[in-house]
Amino acid sequence: MHTPMKLSRRAVLGRSLAIPLSLSLSPFMALRSEIANAATSSLAIVMNSGEASVSVIDMATRKVVRTLPTLREPSHWALSQDRNKLYIADASGNALFIVDPHTGTALGHKVIADPYQLGFTPDHRYLVVNALRLDYVDVYHAEDLSLAKRFSPGSMPSHLDFSPDSRWSFNSMQGSGTLVSFDLTTMAIRWKSKVGSTPAGVLWHNGKVLVCVMGSDHVAEVDPVTGDVLRRVKTGVGPHNIFLSPDGSTLYVSNRIGGSLVAMDPTTFAIQRTYPFHAAGPDDIGIAPDGKLWVTLRFREQVAVLDPKSGTYETIDVGRSPHGIFLSSELSRKGPITAEAL
Amino acid sequence: MLIFLDRLFNALAGEIDQYLVLPLLYHFGWMQWEELSFDWVLVCVYGMFAVIVTYAVCWPLEALFPIEHWNDRKTVVTDAFYTVLNRVGLLPVVSFLLFYQVQVWVNGFVVAHGYIPPTLETVVPALLGHPIITFFAYALILDCADYWRHRLSHSWRGWYALHALHHAQRQMSFWSDDRNHLLDDLIAAIWFGVVGLAIGIPPLQFPLLFLFMRFVESLSHANIRMSFGWLGDRLLVSPRFHRLHHGLRAAGRHSCNYGAVFPIWDIVFRTADFSAEYPPTGDRRAPESMASGGYFAQQLGGLRFFLDEIRAPSKKAHRGS
Repeated sequence: MHTPMKLSRRAVLGRSLAIPLSLSLSPFMALRSEIANAATSSLAIVMNSGEASVSVIDMATRKVVRTLPTLREPSHWALSQDRNKLYIADASGNALFIVDPHTGTALGHKVIADPYQLGFTPDHRYLVVNALRLDYVDVYHAEDLSLAKRFSPGSMPSHLDFSPDSRWSFNSMQGSGTLVSFDLTTMAIRWKSKVGSTPAGVLWHNGKVLVCVMGSDHVAEVDPVTGDVLRRVKTGVGPHNIFLSPDGSTLYVSNRIGGSLVAMDPTTFAIQRTYPFHAAGPDDIGIAPDGKLWVTLRFREQVAVLDPKSGTYETIDVGRSPHGIFLSSELSRKGPITAEAL
Repeated sequence: MLIFLDRLFNALAGEIDQYLVLPLLYHFGWMQWEELSFDWVLVCVYGMFAVIVTYAVCWPLEALFPIEHWNDRKTVVTDAFYTVLNRVGLLPVVSFLLFYQVQVWVNGFVVAHGYIPPTLETVVPALLGHPIITFFAYALILDCADYWRHRLSHSWRGWYALHALHHAQRQMSFWSDDRNHLLDDLIAAIWFGVVGLAIGIPPLQFPLLFLFMRFVESLSHANIRMSFGWLGDRLLVSPRFHRLHHGLRAAGRHSCNYGAVFPIWDIVFRTADFSAEYPPTGDRRAPESMASGGYFAQQLGGLRFFLDEIRAPSKKAHRGS
């Protein structure tokens, strides 16, 4: 691992040799002040898949305060148990980038194969990584990121979630049309279930597994024990990803073809409201303490901050193809913090 | 301006993806490609822009400073077809889909055997955070790899029979850069696939820089009496420099000026020719169908020429005359 921050400071130091001392210190002071400010206000950390960068946004001012370089294609994130490291997957860069989630500064990177979507088990024993380009699901020991087990369960492993007891992992196989469950105690595949065309987002919810069937118009509810599809809930055309609000009051589904976000009752699955995003490609979301939804817009190089009550939103320019989003305001919340269970 | 263009192209690609491509993928049950479809559309939009800019710059230059005057431009039209097929991304996307599973298998195989393909930035950590320098480092290395691919294609008779399609054109213009046999394209794809395993894929955050390099390649084929001066000709491949490679004398095994963008590799490996000449282009040995046929006639002619050449192992390798 190496630390890009050291490079920045070296650059600042180099500049200070060429200009008067009072001026030379100002970039360094500005950097320190920026980091200090960032530490006190909440940050939105946005993974720009098409631009090999991460945008760090001050949530209060809605300004991008820093852009961190990655290798190629940052997509999703997972938070370490001590909440001091945000692991950002960079699939075609074959690396995990590590960012301080409190300050939005880079801490280094670790080489692993093709991390696309990833998640720590709730007990933080394992990090499970979907390697979409390689058709692998890799299970790493969380403490040192050494490979514990590699599975070849199907084509294009996409999204994942876990049972709360950390025994089972549920991974969607985009190319095979299956949801695959792994037993992480025996390191074996439990079942493969044909859930429909192009399954994507996965969420453990009320003792069941919800999976977005992107090649159709619904979310499938799956029995986690048998893998049977219990019911199918229409959400809109091309449901891509699914999230639960922190207070458990709302399920949100982003529809790739419909270009919309829908809010659903978490018990009845009745659609409460649809939020259209005109040809913007809403993808992942984060929910701020004020209830506003921070939505990445893949086709717009923007993040939308949506007021779910009024349905209006403002936008913040970021890099190309913004994908995953992490809000540091989540850090003070109790309980597991994952990309799906917000 | 560049940021404005980038945002404009992204918005346009988003509209096309949302209202045309995604519904088609959905209709045909191909949604597993939705993650990539936006990138494909973006390639098409940028490619279209590149074709328009290339035409807008090169066409007036060819009209004002032509090396040759032609009465019939039928073969130029065929070359334009090659360009559109390649630059707007149709051929690259189809190839990607056709060979996707091979890529998965090869990459999965090397990873399973403990080799994770690096990137230049992981090999040289100082590059991380300097994307423009990284881009040019990749450009130079890939140009070197392309130099050797190109030079080897002139060294082996069977391979050259395919590459002769590129050389057969007697009316070389800025449209001629993409005029290649599909099998020659396939070899190039495999070649760069192997290079990619060694140094990773280049960063893609500078599409306009990438397009500038493709523009240099188009310009170098243009029917324009133009050099970039003593120094310029040694920094970037000019129309005069590359025309010497396409000259009748250079078609075949003993050629010169193999570089696509940077002449540095020809200088380093002693194949550079900076003569102030604009020779006629073409390959006298190539079947006429490869020179003046339509797209399919050229592809078929190239395949026949290739088969003829590999079936005659005792025949002396062709030497340029």
